[in-house]
Amino acid sequence: MKTLDPRIKLFSVIIITSLALYYRRPLWMLILSVSAFFMTVMLGADFAAFFKRIRRFFGLLLMISLLQIIFVRTGEPLLTVNGFALIYGDGLSRGVSVSLRFFVIICSAAVMAGENSRRVVASLIKLKMPYTFVFMIMITLRFVPVFAESFSDAITSVQLRGIELKKVKLGKRIRLYSHLLLPVVADSVIKSQELSIAMEARGFGAMKKRTAYINVRLALCDYIVLALLITLGAGAFAAYGIYA
Amino acid sequence: MTQPAIKLLNARFTYPKNTFTVYCDMLCLNTGRITLVTGKNGSGKTTVLKLCCKILRPQIGSLYIFGEDAKKWPLGRIGQSIGYLFQEPSHQLFTATVWDEMTFIGGIRGDDSEKTKEKALELLDRFNLLDFKERSIYRLSRGEKQRLALAAILMQDIRYLILDEPTTGLDAKNRNILYSQIESLSDKGIGIAVISHSGELISRYGENKIVVENGRVVL
Repeated sequence: MKTLDPRIKLFSVIIITSLALYYRRPLWMLILSVSAFFMTVMLGADFAAFFKRIRRFFGLLLMISLLQIIFVRTGEPLLTVNGFALIYGDGLSRGVSVSLRFFVIICSAAVMAGENSRRVVASLIKLKMPYTFVFMIMITLRFVPVFAESFSDAITSVQLRGIELKKVKLGKRIRLYSHLLLPVVADSVIKSQELSIAMEARGFGAMKKRTAYINVRLALCDYIVLALLITLGAGAFAAYGIYA
Repeated sequence: MTQPAIKLLNARFTYPKNTFTVYCDMLCLNTGRITLVTGKNGSGKTTVLKLCCKILRPQIGSLYIFGEDAKKWPLGRIGQSIGYLFQEPSHQLFTATVWDEMTFIGGIRGDDSEKTKEKALELLDRFNLLDFKERSIYRLSRGEKQRLALAAILMQDIRYLILDEPTTGLDAKNRNILYSQIESLSDKGIGIAVISHSGELISRYGENKIVVENGRVVL
């Protein structure tokens, strides 16, 4: 399963995320989340890195769910204090669904993040996407950690100049972070310019037609998984329409 | 008169995915003297000195800074007494202009603005950067960036300074400016550790030498 063609992985991700957007009921979302989790593991996403990635999102997930639970005020009141309804049925249902939806999206991202970027590029080109566009997507993804690293370097440098960030008042801390943002963005722009020069110097775009070092081809198991995905996906859409 | 500034004891640091491990049984860096840290490329020189000021945190081991256990110290507290000049100076310049770089931290810390300006002007003059005061840091050469990074570090009253490969990419004139600054700081009692494998630096400061080999400190 780990060596499946990236196009099949992409297709599975599209089906799972579409279902996540389509489903509204928490129980259905829970079933989908468990399926997405097993899919992530089976498609070879790094298990340890996967959990690390999820951990970072826990705070955000919790906050979004809480906002839904508190502010959606329709359905049956579930928790009432002194005659004031705090939690409604629809709020709780939406809160749980939103969290699970994020979980499914993170699982899907983990599947594609675990794939070799050059194989992904080759697959997208086979899907007739323009090469420059595909490359632009890959470079953008590559620049996310670069940007994060530049910001982290700036924060380290500030601390090395004797600033104990925890002791800085909130207002000044916001001023500090906003002040750091512009040079970090400028640094990333400079790095991207250097990268484009380096790419052109190595002949990027010199020829209209490119040959590929990595070639992807659908194998028998890819076709079997594709058929399975289409059947299960269609079944999952239909089942929700009928039973939910 | 020298005294121990940084003491790293029984420390071990492994990079993620066990790619490289650095061990240090005992490393003592003193004030008032220049210590050269040398070794082959990839031997772990930079890692050892990053452990000495907690840019990297040792997985095990103890770190003492001016006699105090620094295990729980935040990086910001260490930065108040120890300065670190990165091998690539642009990594530690984080504002838009030369003047901002010199005065920004003072503003955050709430220092007296007149004194900050005075000190910034004096340091810019000392490092031949006064003419570039209003210039964007992106329009400085590597040597100028390095002088600026060092000047900005010296805006704090540090007691120890770590320089990572400070002569990389500098011409003879800029190297001489750097040597005179290093020696003048050392004369003022500031301890200095210089990471380098350059022959010129070894012949100049090789008297107190620490060698790092395959991730181990060989004293």
